[in-house]
Amino acid sequence: MGLNILLIDDDEIERLKFARVLQKNNYPHNSIEAKNGEEALQLLAKKEQLPDLIFLDLNMPKMNGLEFLKELKSDATLHYIPVIILSTSNNHRDLKEAYRIGASGYIVKPLKYQDYAHKIKCLIEYWTINELV
Amino acid sequence: MSNENVDILKRALQREKAARKQAENILEEKSLELYQITKELQKTNEKLMYLVGKKESELQGVFDNLVDAYVLMDISGNVLEMNHSANQLFGYDIIDDKLNVINLIYKEDYQYAMNSFQKLVTKGFFSDYQARVYTKNNGVRTVHINASIIKDKNKKPIGAQGIVRDITEELLQKQIFEEQKKQLSVIVDNSSLGIALTQFGKIIQTNKAFQNLLGYTAEELIKQEVKDISLKDEYAASADSMKRMNHGEIDSFTVNKRYLKKDGNTLWAKTNVAAVRNHNGDIKYQVALIEDITEQLEFEKQRNRLVKNLEKSNQELNDYAHIVSHDLKSPLRSMNALISWLKEDYQEELDENAQKSFDMLLKKVDKMDHLIDGILKYSSIDKTDQPNKNIDLDEVVSDIIDVIHIPDHITIKLTTTLPVVQGDKFRLQQLFQNLISNAVKYNDKEKGIIKVSCKDIKTYWEFSVSDNGQGIPSKYHDKVFQIFQTLDDKKESTGVGLSIVKKIIDLYEGKIWIESEEGIGTTFHFTLKK
Repeated sequence: MGLNILLIDDDEIERLKFARVLQKNNYPHNSIEAKNGEEALQLLAKKEQLPDLIFLDLNMPKMNGLEFLKELKSDATLHYIPVIILSTSNNHRDLKEAYRIGASGYIVKPLKYQDYAHKIKCLIEYWTINELV
Repeated sequence: MSNENVDILKRALQREKAARKQAENILEEKSLELYQITKELQKTNEKLMYLVGKKESELQGVFDNLVDAYVLMDISGNVLEMNHSANQLFGYDIIDDKLNVINLIYKEDYQYAMNSFQKLVTKGFFSDYQARVYTKNNGVRTVHINASIIKDKNKKPIGAQGIVRDITEELLQKQIFEEQKKQLSVIVDNSSLGIALTQFGKIIQTNKAFQNLLGYTAEELIKQEVKDISLKDEYAASADSMKRMNHGEIDSFTVNKRYLKKDGNTLWAKTNVAAVRNHNGDIKYQVALIEDITEQLEFEKQRNRLVKNLEKSNQELNDYAHIVSHDLKSPLRSMNALISWLKEDYQEELDENAQKSFDMLLKKVDKMDHLIDGILKYSSIDKTDQPNKNIDLDEVVSDIIDVIHIPDHITIKLTTTLPVVQGDKFRLQQLFQNLISNAVKYNDKEKGIIKVSCKDIKTYWEFSVSDNGQGIPSKYHDKVFQIFQTLDDKKESTGVGLSIVKKIIDLYEGKIWIESEEGIGTTFHFTLKK
């Protein structure tokens, strides 16, 4: 069964990378994209088809990743959705803060596309075998 | 002979008889009177003798018991009598020696002595004569003399007596005391600390510094009480310490308080109050030492401000490094992805040349990423605020040898044991790892040998990491520690490793220097403070 994945990243190429990994692996999963936290919240507010998983970039204009995460975790319905941080930096403060607010994972984006593809593959396979709300 | 004649003769004889009888009676009477007078005189004489004797012995007693020296001399200065103290003082005994006081006069005081003696003769006395004399055994002594003249019943001077006191010691003590007093007042007057002597809260003495600090004259201050120049609530605050001092619980206390200056401004001063007690332990005086700390407090404030600013800019720098690295790394990742896709998607269309160019592009991207990591590490090396711990460097170095990739042709030896040092594990690991991996990376020999050792030099540890690699030309010995300085263009050389090493050694107050011969090898020596 395909997962509904919401990817929140302001960088177009990052979104392309993610789509390419899904496509190259022939995953049956469906991905929705948002350019920043505000756009994502608007999407989620409709509550039509809620995603099973959220992949979240931290450094974004307007509402950044951690701010978005706070909003999400304070919402009675949305706070069940697992959020995995995809960040460029392993800044310890961000890492701690993300887990404190309620992130379910924290992935540092590697430089090489091959390494990235590998990490995302593992990640998706892990969440595929999980039971989700 | 006629009867008449006989009668006349008879009558005459009778008259004569009677007269003789009367004369005899008078004589007897007078004799008795005389006897009585003689007796009385004798009695008076005895009484006088007794009185004279008594006076004489009284005088002798005074003479003998006089603590001061007593000298009796004739008008020419020949000594007639001396008491025991005089014998002691001058060292002469007139029973044995003839002595004239003129011989005792100190040469330089001769004129003064003669003038005084003149005065003695004309006025009959002198007092408070002070001069030096020679003594037999004690050298020159300074004496004080009161003298008076002795005259006979015709008011003719026949001698003089004097009471002599040796004041040499007294003068010396007085001189020492004056000297010390002078020394003390030089110190007190020139002290930059304000000093005040107080008694029961009243100011009784101040020094110049105290006067200058508060802007009062000495006279103005003497009229004041301590509480007049203190702020009300602060005076109350030190009252408790004052009470404890009065009770003998403490002998001094220090307080930072403000003083009211004459111009109405206040002065922050560190004040040390000490008690001066009498032999009963009761307080006689208090001595207050005050030090102007207005500037010190200002410096402290300024320092706190600077520290705060520094903390802030450190934090900003830290954030900045992370943000910059994030922003710089993002495009690199995109480039890497796009190039990889081009290679993948157009594999068929691209010739070997194009593939090679893409590979070189990827390498450059990779190098850029390393550089950014280097900056991040360099900027965060002094950010860890971990407390210092005991770090076993033997363990640290063996861990490094396990972790880094060491090709088969290279061996790493610990030629001495490494000590346990106080420090931050991450930093020490970085330090050794960068040096060892450099030695591995740049080794060009068939059999590479890397040695790590340590020497104990009192307050420092001196370490060395030596290799038999290509060596570093001496003109680069300083340059290699500068950030982004590399000596070759291997893809993993970023020019950050050694600058991190230098930075860590600086943090531990050590030094690093290079000993190297081109083609033979390099030794990095460095010290860490114990």
